[in-house]
Amino acid sequence: MPGLPDAPVAVDEAAVRGRRRFPGTDSYVLRRVLASVGTLAFVLVFNFFLFRILPGDPAKNLTRNRQIPQEQVDALRESFGLDQPLAGQFLAYLRNLVTGELGISYKFRQPVFEVIADRIWPTLLLVGTGTLIATVVGLRLGIRSGWNRGGRFDKVTTGTTLTLYSMPEFWLGLMLLALFSVGVGVFPGIFPTGGLRSPGVEPGSLEGVLDLLWHLALPVATLALAYLAEYTLVMRSSLIDEIGEDYLTTARAKGLPDAEVRRRHAVPNALLPTTTLIALNLGFVVSGAITIETVFSIPGLGLLTYEALRVPDFPLLQGLFLVFSVGVIAANLAADLIYGRLDPRVRG
Amino acid sequence: MSRITVRRAAATVLAGALALVPITLAAPASPAAAEEGGTFTVGLLQDADSLNPFVGTVLEAYEMWGLMYDQLTGYAQEDLSAKPSLAESWEESPDQTTWTYQIRSGLSWSDGKPLTAEDAAYTFDRIINGTDEQTNYGGYVANITAAEATDDTTLVLTVSQPTPIMTRLAVPILPKHIWEDIPAEETLTFPNDDQPVGSGPFALVEYEPGQFLRFKANQDYWAGAPKVDEVVFRIFGNEDTMVQALRKGEIDFAEGLSANTFASLEGAEGITTVNGASTGYNQVGFNTGAATVDGEAIGDGHPAFADVRFRQALAHAIDRQTILDKVFGGFAALGTTIIPPIYANTHLDPGDQTWPFDLAKANQLLDAAGYPRGADGIRTLPDGTKPLKGVRYFARSESPTSQQTAPFIKGWFAELGIELEVSVIDPNQLTEVIGNGEYDVFDWGWGVEPDPDYMLSVFTCDQRSTRDGDALVAGLSDSFFCSEEYDALYAEQGQTTDADERDAIVRKMQEILYNDAPYVLTVYDQQLEAYRSDRWTNVQPQPIPDGPLIFQFGTYTYRNVEPIAGSGAGGTDDGGLSTGALIAIAAGAVLVLAGGGYLVARSRRQGTSGADDRE
Repeated sequence: MPGLPDAPVAVDEAAVRGRRRFPGTDSYVLRRVLASVGTLAFVLVFNFFLFRILPGDPAKNLTRNRQIPQEQVDALRESFGLDQPLAGQFLAYLRNLVTGELGISYKFRQPVFEVIADRIWPTLLLVGTGTLIATVVGLRLGIRSGWNRGGRFDKVTTGTTLTLYSMPEFWLGLMLLALFSVGVGVFPGIFPTGGLRSPGVEPGSLEGVLDLLWHLALPVATLALAYLAEYTLVMRSSLIDEIGEDYLTTARAKGLPDAEVRRRHAVPNALLPTTTLIALNLGFVVSGAITIETVFSIPGLGLLTYEALRVPDFPLLQGLFLVFSVGVIAANLAADLIYGRLDPRVRG
Repeated sequence: MSRITVRRAAATVLAGALALVPITLAAPASPAAAEEGGTFTVGLLQDADSLNPFVGTVLEAYEMWGLMYDQLTGYAQEDLSAKPSLAESWEESPDQTTWTYQIRSGLSWSDGKPLTAEDAAYTFDRIINGTDEQTNYGGYVANITAAEATDDTTLVLTVSQPTPIMTRLAVPILPKHIWEDIPAEETLTFPNDDQPVGSGPFALVEYEPGQFLRFKANQDYWAGAPKVDEVVFRIFGNEDTMVQALRKGEIDFAEGLSANTFASLEGAEGITTVNGASTGYNQVGFNTGAATVDGEAIGDGHPAFADVRFRQALAHAIDRQTILDKVFGGFAALGTTIIPPIYANTHLDPGDQTWPFDLAKANQLLDAAGYPRGADGIRTLPDGTKPLKGVRYFARSESPTSQQTAPFIKGWFAELGIELEVSVIDPNQLTEVIGNGEYDVFDWGWGVEPDPDYMLSVFTCDQRSTRDGDALVAGLSDSFFCSEEYDALYAEQGQTTDADERDAIVRKMQEILYNDAPYVLTVYDQQLEAYRSDRWTNVQPQPIPDGPLIFQFGTYTYRNVEPIAGSGAGGTDDGGLSTGALIAIAAGAVLVLAGGGYLVARSRRQGTSGADDRE
């Protein structure tokens, strides 16, 4: 079945099958969706047991170093449901999940859903914007370097992005902070050292929006610079793979100009592996960038996870990992589906 | 052709829009008129976990409640002794069954409603009769059976036995008219973060979780209006950034510094560093014979550590000065007894009766106590069994100083023929290990409240582990110290309401612990802080003169700090977009413009070539 000679036949078969069924749906899509749902179900069950291996008793940790009678600690444990046997806790957890209930955070005493909803925006803003910029700029750089492999532009781009990539994120962040927030020598200290908004500024107003952009500039720049290399290099190498292909020679033979050959023929094919990378990274957008959140004091999901682990705040951890899993699984599904559309061979 | 025109037009519009941005900005960005008292901005490394006084657990939360609420009594700036707060005066009845507090008259809440003894009675009632309310304050009301307001200014608390902590009830008095609408089952889920009603020197006006808290001064505060207009707490994810913000002047005060950072700030222009005596200490603790409350021996601690002579010898082998210098960078004080010297009235100063570092003496003491060295130089029990090899020493993974202390102790103990095996573990795990008695030596510490009761209780027999079926549940005790004499004194101090008499008992208890050495204290912590002394003056230490400036038992600095005239303190940096922001946005606009222009130009080139191609 695999192997090059058979490939065209396989494509034909798929095309034939596709025509026989309802247009727009096929078993490939159904299979991918089912597999995703299955993965999610597994993750949900697994998470419950995973967090309960963590050392530490939440009730004890939340009352540490204070004058509290043991009965209080017991009462707290009871209110968390931790006095129940593990099987009972698990059933309660499943029951809650089915009803869409994520429980109350031990630490914040607020519904898990609300705690996460409060903290997800900073993360989406930061990582989403940063990833978007890294993708757009990275792909453009990658295309140009790959097309003129070995040229001056390629050498400079590859060197620069690799250098940025190999810098620890927190160090890169701290450097940008020292240069552009505190200011050294000719560098003006014009950006804030952290946070996402200034006290006393109305969030919805024009001033509020500008204030947000002003706060986002450095962390987004750090993230974009740090991840630039991934996109640049993947795009570059997959474009290089295409360069020797016969169809490009054919295109040139038709008299197409170089830029057109690149834009209409080489790049669309080279985009395939990049699609996977982009989709996978999009899945991680929600899980935050804990190092950058730490350097720039942005209260996103990354820092929240860290805080929750310290208790350990089981309901909050379960909620967070549910969000992360859904993000990654959905992105994977999207990648599979898009890939299936871009490259019919994988649908077999 | 037409496509190009459209593109060019779009680019022109874009450029125009971007050029306009800084101009439209000028209006809102004109510095929010610098008010007279200004804004005092404090950098913290952790947010309050909740602003609801029944929920929060971290010190930062307690600091915020201190700004928002008053307690019955306060803590003197000089020496932390009890002093009037909401209660102007108080009196214990001669039969020691009731305490009567005279509440100030004419007070009001931040929403204008009057504050009376009724609010105080309500607060105590709610805690006494509550369940969730007890988590944070149960310890204070354990002996209080009833709270009653006999009139607007008189609160009477009835106690079940003579109770010395009645002048140190660290319970924030809450507004009855707000909290009576919150049913018991919602006590913990009430966030209390939207313009909460309080009576303290400041009122919370804006809260962005994880980013900042903004407080406005209470101009009608009974102890006088604060000199600043606002206090802002900004939360930083890491210390380096916070220090940069201090140098830059984005914040005026940085709290919770580490020794390295602190040292790097010493001598920095315009910045004053303060290493204030704090309430915490670090210690090396021993397993003095793990057992349950019922006396059943548990665990597998090395029996030598149960011998007081053995522990005393080890006390001579811990060089506290070296730990202070090498591990704490000099920013700590030599440790001795378990009530830190910040509590001058209750702390026992052992004077020259300390354990001087002397390895030769330690070896002599061990020889005299009958712990012979084997052929390999390792000491054994007097009968030659159980060599002191692989003795378990636990350090904590969350504490760098704990980990840095370990190799020093290991080195000194090796000189005595005791070979330690150091493990670094999570504190949660360590609690479990200790509760099971499966350890010999460990490094940890405590923070000590103004009232010594809790700290003293740690060493009572009742705080040893308890058995729950097959499992062992750790009590507070982590040394399994148990002494009849000590327990008797503990009971006595718990019913002695005369401060001087009680202090004498508490000192006696410290002496017992010091001599029996279940713990060898290494250092008393210091709270490392830094502030912009070029902009702010009149900060207030508590206790005087060498206490910390904030995170006190009171609000002395927040209420008294004032900007230095002409220094730009409390100015425009905090109030929205500054000139710096304008420049940043203008620079950003130029960049976007340049980038956009480049892209447009490129597309146009491609568009043209594409057009050529088609023709």
